[in-house]
Amino acid sequence: MTESMDKTTAVMNLPRRDARDKLQGRTKYTVDAGGSDVLHAALLRSDVASARITRLDTSAALKMPGVQAIATAADAPGLHGLGIADHPVFADKVVRYHGEPLAVIAAETLAQARAAAKAIIIEYAELPKVLTMAEALSQDAPLVHPDWEDYEILFEGGNRSGNIAWQATVDRGDTDAAFARDDVTIVEGSYQVGRQNHVSFEPRAVVASFEDGRYHIHTSTQAPWTVKSVTAKVLGVPEAAVHVTVPAVGGGFGLKFDCSLEPYATILARKTGRSVSLVNSRKEEMMTCLCRENADIHIRSAVTKNGEIVGRDATVLMDCGAYGGEQVFLTTMTAHTLGGNYKLGSVRIRTKAVYTNTPPNGAFRACNGVYNTFALERHTDEICAAIGMDPFEFRRRTVVGDQDLGATGQVFEGNVLGPMLDQMVAKHPIGKRSDTLPDGRLYGRATTVGTWFIFVGPSAATVILNADASATLVTAGVEIGSGTMMQSLPQIVAANLGIHPDAVIVKTADTDAAGRDLGVGGGRTTVSIGAASEAACADVRDKLLEVASGLLQTKPDNLVLTAGRVEMKGRPGSGTTIRQVVQHAETTIGPISGSGAFTAPGVPAMPGCAAGHFIDAIDVPVFAVHDCEVAVDPVTGHVEILSYRLVQDVGRALNHRAIHGQIQGGVVQGIGYALTEEITINKNGAFDQTGFESYHLPLAGDVLPIEFELYEGAPSIGPLGTKGAGEVPILNVAATLGCAIANATDKKVNTLPLTPPRITALLEGRQNGSNLGHVARLRGGDKR
Amino acid sequence: MGVDFTLNGKPRSFAGDPRTSLLHALRDDFRLTGAKDVCGEGFCGACIIYVDGEPKTSCLLPVGALQGTEITTIEGIGNVDTLNPVQQAFIDFDVVQCGMCFPGMVMTLTHYLKDNPRPSRAEVKAALTGNICRCTGYERIIDAVMSLHNSASGEVRT
Repeated sequence: MTESMDKTTAVMNLPRRDARDKLQGRTKYTVDAGGSDVLHAALLRSDVASARITRLDTSAALKMPGVQAIATAADAPGLHGLGIADHPVFADKVVRYHGEPLAVIAAETLAQARAAAKAIIIEYAELPKVLTMAEALSQDAPLVHPDWEDYEILFEGGNRSGNIAWQATVDRGDTDAAFARDDVTIVEGSYQVGRQNHVSFEPRAVVASFEDGRYHIHTSTQAPWTVKSVTAKVLGVPEAAVHVTVPAVGGGFGLKFDCSLEPYATILARKTGRSVSLVNSRKEEMMTCLCRENADIHIRSAVTKNGEIVGRDATVLMDCGAYGGEQVFLTTMTAHTLGGNYKLGSVRIRTKAVYTNTPPNGAFRACNGVYNTFALERHTDEICAAIGMDPFEFRRRTVVGDQDLGATGQVFEGNVLGPMLDQMVAKHPIGKRSDTLPDGRLYGRATTVGTWFIFVGPSAATVILNADASATLVTAGVEIGSGTMMQSLPQIVAANLGIHPDAVIVKTADTDAAGRDLGVGGGRTTVSIGAASEAACADVRDKLLEVASGLLQTKPDNLVLTAGRVEMKGRPGSGTTIRQVVQHAETTIGPISGSGAFTAPGVPAMPGCAAGHFIDAIDVPVFAVHDCEVAVDPVTGHVEILSYRLVQDVGRALNHRAIHGQIQGGVVQGIGYALTEEITINKNGAFDQTGFESYHLPLAGDVLPIEFELYEGAPSIGPLGTKGAGEVPILNVAATLGCAIANATDKKVNTLPLTPPRITALLEGRQNGSNLGHVARLRGGDKR
Repeated sequence: MGVDFTLNGKPRSFAGDPRTSLLHALRDDFRLTGAKDVCGEGFCGACIIYVDGEPKTSCLLPVGALQGTEITTIEGIGNVDTLNPVQQAFIDFDVVQCGMCFPGMVMTLTHYLKDNPRPSRAEVKAALTGNICRCTGYERIIDAVMSLHNSASGEVRT
């Protein structure tokens, strides 16, 4: 049977419907909500990293002008978390990081709330602290969570112990035997990377109200259903009592993929009966950001002289800060990046999320994939040097292809990375990889590959076909800036119903209207919400064609939806308008709507390979090839990027122009991560970078146009064969810049960010700040 | 005694603490939320408005210093039905993402192009030194701006 609509009409450069208001300053983000009737809240945060709270007295603060309510740990006793419930809403008896909330105040004005926060009496007895993972894993280290064994386990399978919040492991094949072979070269490397702040321009913000016995949370989040369930859990109320709505979100990048400020405002709304606004100041946002975590990585590979990797052994330490958070989940993704890219004969990976007395970390665009790809690609170039093979040739021979095994034994489908490499060199043949330019600067070029995934999982959609033949799409999807809700989803729905995307109304996220959804992130929106939307459209189409079949006296199979009409196949003009069919339906079956759902299909891993993993195999792998040229000033250590180009696997491009925007923006975020964005943690356990003066975001003058080609046609379960295109552009930027800078300088580049002082230290042969003995030691003592 | 000024063409008065930043007065008292409070330190440019026609970061301006001035915010650029050429170019090139930086971008570039109708790419980038964007990676913003002076006369389209 041929399709009853032409899905390829989904491919177009649909403009964004939200651009006009955003350009006129008329869009109301969460930070813009409210008015004179709203109370303003401020958090009192700890200014020590590890302490016992000996006194917390709010009585004087409660009497301050304008103060309406104060909440503390007693108001929210529940613990939450991902995998482990280890995280209190307020520090209760113990402070575990600098900036941890102790109390929250609601007052008539923000100034009054802040003044009252200062009037709260807080006294501590300081406790020993661990600020680095090396300290946290040292013998007799103080435990960040002495009661770690008592916590509720929300997901089974992770190995936990003391300051190790979670461990995920992979064991496929006999790595010991591989390393013992007498025909292999063993290559070993250690890598260390710092944190990265998302700096979404809209800080985390919420306005909460208590309405008709329920909590209404209007918030800047990527994951409304997570906010709903976590807030209900910590408040000890039924999930049904929490209603979450989300307006336009002023940037997320993963920061808003978890519940954050919502419980505080919600508790205050309940106490006061008023709407309460809570917005992080920029300083709070800088200092308590759920950053891309710092990490220490050790990789060892056994490689034959032909470039066959017969064994790989890797240890990754991820700093989760004071609470497990997303890092517990993200331990999973080490396997799929360090064990991606290349064919491996055998593999052993240990990934540990480590507690420290530092601000908790979180998810950030491509998460640990970004630094694992940096480490892996630097390691790969070191392998090439050790066995004397050209780095491009090595990659072309060794990248995973059709029927090759991933780290956990999943079987990849399709040759994707190989042809993508060919596509890159066909346009940009490899010449010199290093040189000295006439002006004395050091030239370097590198080409890298990357493997990441589309985070799928449950999504729900409802499509209502209106009397005027417009359609309303109801999902819990949020527009965070990437354009998915403005472009790809209306394009998909329109193509499935034979109407124009301008006739698709996209309802903003509302948990009272839309079914459950994991949230907008991980490249999942087009794939998961898109697939649920397609399913809802199929439901609508079945009803519509059944009615039309009666009206037009032909079988539904003979009908096709196109340009707002129902036509008999191959006979344009033979049918009638969708509008007329909908109106007729009102007299036969009633108004037409449909519902659809999607969830991860669950690609199998090899049994017994993976332990402590939230995802044993990846449902939708996604690949990238990046290439760049740099010039390094040997005196100042400044890096100029001379060219940057990439080939990205998108499955199928629905909106080429929008994908261009994601590539340009994602690569530039990666440039910031690789070169300038540095976070240092001082002896008090606080970040030194408290604002834009000290945290160096890329400016217009620091960037260049990114050249790109899209690779289409790789297998994907996404609607029309799509894969998410917004997350992946950042994946191998630090890897590519790192490898190019290594080629330019002929030095062992193994840290990020590559700031000018780091590069001059490398060039002068000075120690560049990383002491990674503890990672290698762990490996030796951990061969389970 | 209040501070009197013209705001988007209308006489207005501010009776609060004269040390209040113009940004907070605009957002909290006049409920003009187009100027965004992003860095609060004058680096990001998301709060740029005009004082007597000159772009200023409103987060660093105390209202008390504005007696008798003419203040224009993003809400005062055109009206709900009309876009200026910079805004139109941003739509035509599909450059908007989260949108938080764009009110400031529009203010900076509209003013810059008035005095510099045919800038080079590098000059546009230099003009954006005080406007940070976290989403777009800038280059497509520059593409949109460069499209504006391709008219035969070399003038900014109006």
